[in-house]
Amino acid sequence: MCELYTYILKISLKGVAMSKEELSRVDENLTLETDESRRDFLDKFTKGVFGGLIVGGVVSALAPVQAKANKHGSNLNFSTPFKPFTLPPEHPGEDATLRMMRDLQRALKKPIEQRHWNMVIDLRKCVGCDACSVSCVAENKLPPGVVYRPVIQQEIGTYPNVGHVTLPRPCMQCDEPPCVPVCPAEATWKRPDGIVIVDYDQCIGCRYCLNACPYDARTFDFGLEYIDGTADAPKVFLGKEKAGKYETDPSYEYAKEWKRQDDASPIGNARKCHFCIPRIEKGMLPECVVTCIGRATYFGDGSDSESLVAELIALPNAFRLKEEVGTHPSVYYIK
Amino acid sequence: MTREKMGNILVWILIIGFGVWGFPGIIDRFANGHINTSYGSYIPWGLWISAYIWLIGLSAGALMISVMTYVFNIKAVEKVGKMAFLVAIATLVGAMIAVGLDLGHPLRAFSLIFDPNLSSMMGWMAVLYTAYFITLCVELYFAIRKEQTVGLQQKNIKKILIVLGIWSIPLAFAFHGGVGGVFANVIAKPYWHGPMLPVVFLAGAFLSGGALFATVAYIWRPSQSKDEFLKMMIYLGKVTLALLIFDEILELSEVYVGTFYANQGEGHLWQQILFGQYWYVFWIVHLLIGVLVPLFLLTAKSKSPGAIALAGLLIAGSFLAVRLNIVIPGMLDPEIAGIAQAWVHSKLTFSYLPSIMEWQVLFFIVAVVMAVFMIGKKILPIYQTAGDES
Repeated sequence: MCELYTYILKISLKGVAMSKEELSRVDENLTLETDESRRDFLDKFTKGVFGGLIVGGVVSALAPVQAKANKHGSNLNFSTPFKPFTLPPEHPGEDATLRMMRDLQRALKKPIEQRHWNMVIDLRKCVGCDACSVSCVAENKLPPGVVYRPVIQQEIGTYPNVGHVTLPRPCMQCDEPPCVPVCPAEATWKRPDGIVIVDYDQCIGCRYCLNACPYDARTFDFGLEYIDGTADAPKVFLGKEKAGKYETDPSYEYAKEWKRQDDASPIGNARKCHFCIPRIEKGMLPECVVTCIGRATYFGDGSDSESLVAELIALPNAFRLKEEVGTHPSVYYIK
Repeated sequence: MTREKMGNILVWILIIGFGVWGFPGIIDRFANGHINTSYGSYIPWGLWISAYIWLIGLSAGALMISVMTYVFNIKAVEKVGKMAFLVAIATLVGAMIAVGLDLGHPLRAFSLIFDPNLSSMMGWMAVLYTAYFITLCVELYFAIRKEQTVGLQQKNIKKILIVLGIWSIPLAFAFHGGVGGVFANVIAKPYWHGPMLPVVFLAGAFLSGGALFATVAYIWRPSQSKDEFLKMMIYLGKVTLALLIFDEILELSEVYVGTFYANQGEGHLWQQILFGQYWYVFWIVHLLIGVLVPLFLLTAKSKSPGAIALAGLLIAGSFLAVRLNIVIPGMLDPEIAGIAQAWVHSKLTFSYLPSIMEWQVLFFIVAVVMAVFMIGKKILPIYQTAGDES
C-alpha cells in the first residue's frame, strides 16, 4: 500500500514538473479567437408594441439557450494530445485512485466529444476535513473570497435526534447550465466533454452568471490578496515579502498562464471549478479527488460503462442536487 | 430672483457638493476596483445596479413625456418635449455610468454593442440601449430643427418626429421591460422570477420618470402664459397621480401575495423587507416619502404647481428605495443552506449594506446626470419656439 502511495506521489510530482513546460506549449497552440388620426396612431402603436413583443419572443426562442461551443474560441475546448504513462498492473483490491487513473487514460484516448466527465461524492465517507477545498485553493492559486469547492457542514434534526451532514459542493458542470445563456459576452460555455468553462479574456465581470447559478458555485475575483492589511515592518515582521510572492504566482487554469496583477484577468472575472482541466488532460485526477483523505470523491468518464463513476452513478442511492431546477448536474452524490 | 435662476443655483450647488463628496469614491473605484464595495459573490449586485435601474427608469419615464408631445400631440406638454429628451439623455448617461462602474472589465463591454449574446437578456440590453441612445439624440436633433424651420420643411420634420416617436414606444417597452426581464428570467431567484416583474418595472419607470419631469418642468418651464403653465403642471400632476395609483395597485398585489402565507415561498423575504433590519427603506423612504406624502400633495384641492413639483421630486428621488427592495432581497437566500459558513470571508456573506464608497460613487453619478442636463439646457435651444406654426 505504501508503495502504491509513493507511486501515485511520483506520478503527481512528475505531472507538476511537466505541467509548466507542456502547458506553455499548449499555450502556443492556443489562440483565443478569441399627422394621422389618433385612431390610426393607436393602431400603429398597438401593432408596434405587440409586433415588437412577438419578434423579441421569436428571436429569443431561436437563440440557443443550451450549452454550446463558443464563437470566440472553440480553442478553449482544447484537448491536448494525451501521452499515456505506465500504470502498475491491475490487481484485485487495488486502490480506487488507480482504477480511476486507468479510466481516465481510457477516456483520454477517445475524442473529446465521446467522453463526459462526472464526479461522484460519497457523503457517507466525507468527514468534512476541507482538504479538498484547501488543495483546490493551492492548485488554482485562488485569492481570498474565491472558492471553488466549499464543504458545507450542517447539523440536522432536533435534539436528541441530531445528525451532522457534510456536503462538498464543486461546480455541478450542469448539462443545462443556467449560467451559460445569461452571459452577455458568451464568455462561458460547455465543452463537448461536459465541463462548463469561463473565458477570462472575454468575461466582462457583470456577475449575472453568479446570480443565475442555483448552486452558488461561481465567485467573483475582487482582486483581494492574502497579505492585504497585514503588518509591514521590514526586519521585524518577516515573511510578508515571500507570502506576497505567492499572490503573484501564476495559475494554469484552462492551460494558460494567469498572473493576478495590475487588475488583469482573472481579477474582475467570474471564477468557478473546472474539474482541474489542465490536470485531467495530462491523465491526472482533479486535485480534490487525490487529496480526499476518505476516498469520498470519484472522477471519471460517465459515458464509459466500465468506469468506476459509471458504476457509482448507477447505484440506487445516488442522487443529484436540486434535480427540480432541470440543470442535469454532472456531479452525483451517494447517501 | 426668478424660479429658474434659483433652480440653477441650487442645482449647481448640488452638482458641486455631490461631485466633491463623491469624487474620492470614483478615485477608489479606479484605484482599487471593487475591493471597497460591500457586495460580494453571494450578493453580487448592490447599490450601483439598483441605481442603474432607477436611472434607466427615469429615462424611460421622461421619454414617455416626449411621446405625449410629439406622437399624441398633447397640448399641455407641447413646449417641454425637447426638455424631456434632454432629461432622458442625462439619466441614460447616468445609468450607463452606474452599470459600467459595476463591471469587472468595463472596457470589454463595448464589444457587446456589435457582438452581443442574444440568448442573454443582458446582451439584448447592450443592443437596446445603443438603439435608444441613438434614437434620443436623433429625436432631440429633429425636435430642435422643427422650431428652426417653417412651412413644408417643418411639416416634414413633424412627420419624422411622429415616426421616431412611434418607434420609441416599443423600444421603451423593450428596453425597460427587458431590464425587468434581466431579473425575472433568473430561475434560481424565486423572488425575481415571474412574469410580473417586467410589468412592474415599466409601471415604476413611467411613474418615476413622469414624476421627475413634473419637477424639472416646474423649475425650468418654457416661456408660456401663467394659464398654460398651470395647465401643464395640472396635467403632469394628473398623469403622475394615475401612474402612482397604478403602481401602488401592483405593489399591493405583490405584498399581498408575498405575505399572505408568511412562512411559504418568498414570504420570509417580504418579512425581511417589511419588518427586518432595513424596515425603514420600505416604510419611511418608500411608503411615507415616496407614496403617502406625494398622494396627499397630488390630491390636494389647491392644485398648486409647487406641490405637484414637490410630489414629483419625492417620488422620483425615493424610487431608488423601490429599486433597492427589488434587487437586494432577491439575493438574500443561500442557494444551498449553510454555504456562507462553509468558506468564511467578507465577500461570501448574505447580508448587504452599501459602503461609503458605493454611496460616494452614486452621488457622483447623480452629479454627472445633473451636470449633463444643465450643460445641455445651456448649449441647446430647448426653449426656442420661433417658427413653430402651432
